[in-house]
Amino acid sequence: MLHIANLYASVAGRTILNGLDLDVPTGEVHAIMGPNGSGKTTLSNVLSGRDGYDVSGTVTFDGVDLVPLAPEARAAAGVFVAFQHPVEIPGVGNMYFLRTAVNSIRSHRGLPELAAVEFLGLAKEHMARLAMDPAFLSRSVNAGFSGGEKKRNEILQMSMLEPRLAILDETDSGLDIDALRIVAQGIERLRSPHRSMLIITHHTPLLDDVQPDRVHVLHGGRIVRSGGPELAHELEADGYGTLPIGVSG
Amino acid sequence: MSVTAHAPIPTERDERWHYAPLDEINARMERSVAPCGDVPTSVTPMLIDAMVGATGARLVFVNGMHTAELSDCHQLPAGVRCDVSNTSGGGGPPVATVTVDEGVRFEEPLRVVHVAVPDADAVKSLLSRARTIIELGTDAHAVVVETFGGLDGSRASTMTESSTTIRLGDRAELAYYRIQIEALDATHVGHTLIDQGADSSVGMTSVTLGGDIARNAIHVHLDGPGARADLAGIAVTGGHQRHDTVVTIDHAASRCTSNQRFNGVVDDHGRGAFSGEIVVQPGTTGTDAHQSSRNLVLDPNAEADARPWLRILADDVRCTHGATVGRLDDDALHYLRSRGIPLVAARAMLIDAFLRNVTDSIAHEAVRAHVAALVTSAASEASEASTRATRPAWPVEHP
Ligand SMILES: Nc1ncnc2c1ncn2[C@@H]1O[C@H](COP(=O)(O)OP(=O)(O)OP(=O)(O)O)[C@@H](O)[C@H]1O
Ligand SMILES: [Mg+2]
Repeated sequence: MLHIANLYASVAGRTILNGLDLDVPTGEVHAIMGPNGSGKTTLSNVLSGRDGYDVSGTVTFDGVDLVPLAPEARAAAGVFVAFQHPVEIPGVGNMYFLRTAVNSIRSHRGLPELAAVEFLGLAKEHMARLAMDPAFLSRSVNAGFSGGEKKRNEILQMSMLEPRLAILDETDSGLDIDALRIVAQGIERLRSPHRSMLIITHHTPLLDDVQPDRVHVLHGGRIVRSGGPELAHELEADGYGTLPIGVSG
Repeated sequence: MSVTAHAPIPTERDERWHYAPLDEINARMERSVAPCGDVPTSVTPMLIDAMVGATGARLVFVNGMHTAELSDCHQLPAGVRCDVSNTSGGGGPPVATVTVDEGVRFEEPLRVVHVAVPDADAVKSLLSRARTIIELGTDAHAVVVETFGGLDGSRASTMTESSTTIRLGDRAELAYYRIQIEALDATHVGHTLIDQGADSSVGMTSVTLGGDIARNAIHVHLDGPGARADLAGIAVTGGHQRHDTVVTIDHAASRCTSNQRFNGVVDDHGRGAFSGEIVVQPGTTGTDAHQSSRNLVLDPNAEADARPWLRILADDVRCTHGATVGRLDDDALHYLRSRGIPLVAARAMLIDAFLRNVTDSIAHEAVRAHVAALVTSAASEASEASTRATRPAWPVEHP
């Protein structure tokens, strides 16, 4: 499904992704761990089509070259990134935003657009599962949301947009114990043989709830180690200190 | 009754015309001719409905001529009148007069519509003179929407020179909307004069979307103690449009309050300007005057200018002013696009959000919806024009 080979990304003259290789087959959940500043968020930004990076290398999604695609085209193709720091957009209503997003993607999949009432029903259903107060719909996108509420709003969007590849950048950071469980359940619900996920995290609890098929370590802008789910615990016990030093730009 | 708001277009430099292309306006004025003859058949009641987004009481003028077939002022309650009168000297244009008598409260919008229609056969642009007088008696309440609309011409365009005079009796309250949606090749020179009695209150919202060159001058004279003026404006300036908004608030009495909130969105090669003057006359006390101008520049070729101008000749004054010029938030834009919302729609959402402080404050719900729709479509049109040249958003094919 997702194939990344020899990916380089630099910004402001600084190389951050440094020949990264990664494959996530259809239906698998992979985790990425790695020290602060190793390039995890840069990777998710680059995958989402954020401009401002000089990118070279191969990124294909179901055989389609993602690199030249605009962010909305990637979303339409089924790529979703839950951002580490979801941006606040005062003045844009959360409901209007979500409905526009859902309908943009539906129309790309050849599905009819949802009318306001239908959408509202669906949104409330999803929100109930995530224990989110429907009042969040009438607020501006992420504006004044607490850290945990923003993360939940990302999971809400993911559930409603039903992506084929979900990249979760530290969605578990800043969540309380209950919220972590709810978010983990939200992720589990989306797990399917047709969908792949890439979970970026610093912590093992999420990975205990959502058992990844593979765990990778990103360091110095490349994947320096890969293993099964047990690798996460090994890293938690030993830290990143014993890793080979990545090439730094 | 004579029209007093008519401020002629100056022939030489005038500070209030700093940002307006005065020579070009005068040249266009000279090149245009007065309309003669009948109302073009292209102007139908349906067209007017669409232009104002509503049915209901209205006075309609086409190229400065009152058009009774398109007007409807029959169902008004006692004390509320929409009439047409001729200027005292004769020979001048007919005047739309909206009058609400002392103590009468009328909450339904009263509409005055001016439509500029180019001559289909001629090459010269037609000059319309639009004249309106709105008069509210003591304690009267009213909502007035004045729309300046127009049609595109195949060859010639239109020039509108408008003058609206508003007089408010003591404690009168007026919500006044001025909506300029003329054709994109039109020239518009407008002047609004508001004269306020003691403890009267005006809430004016000005929306400037149309015209190739459009100037919108607003002069508020706070003449009675305790008068309040709340002015808000939106201008969306794209293509090669030039929009110039010039506001003067004259605090001539004590305890008066004024607030100006003007937002400009400039895109493509558009140029938008706002000059806001606050005058506080000597001998007045307890003045409260605020002004803010916020501008969003969406294209490196677009330009926004904002200029406060304070002449404070008294001591007991609370006055604030501020101007900002900014761009769209790249992170917000990326966030919306990453959820599948196409670039043009994402930009339109952020532009709407930027204009919220004005659109949300429109108290009359139907007017608010109408203005919001007009502004959204103007912003996405401007946006589409300026994003057309950027990289293709879609792959040729996708499984
Ligand atoms: N626009 C930029 N300009 C300069 N340096 C940048 C820029 N963006 C990222 N970096 C640098 O690139 C490196 C990788 O950043 P990134 O955000 O990808 O790290 P991360 O692995 O997500 O870290 P964390 O675990 O703290 O979230 C950091 O050293 C960061 O300072
Ligand atoms: Mg990060």
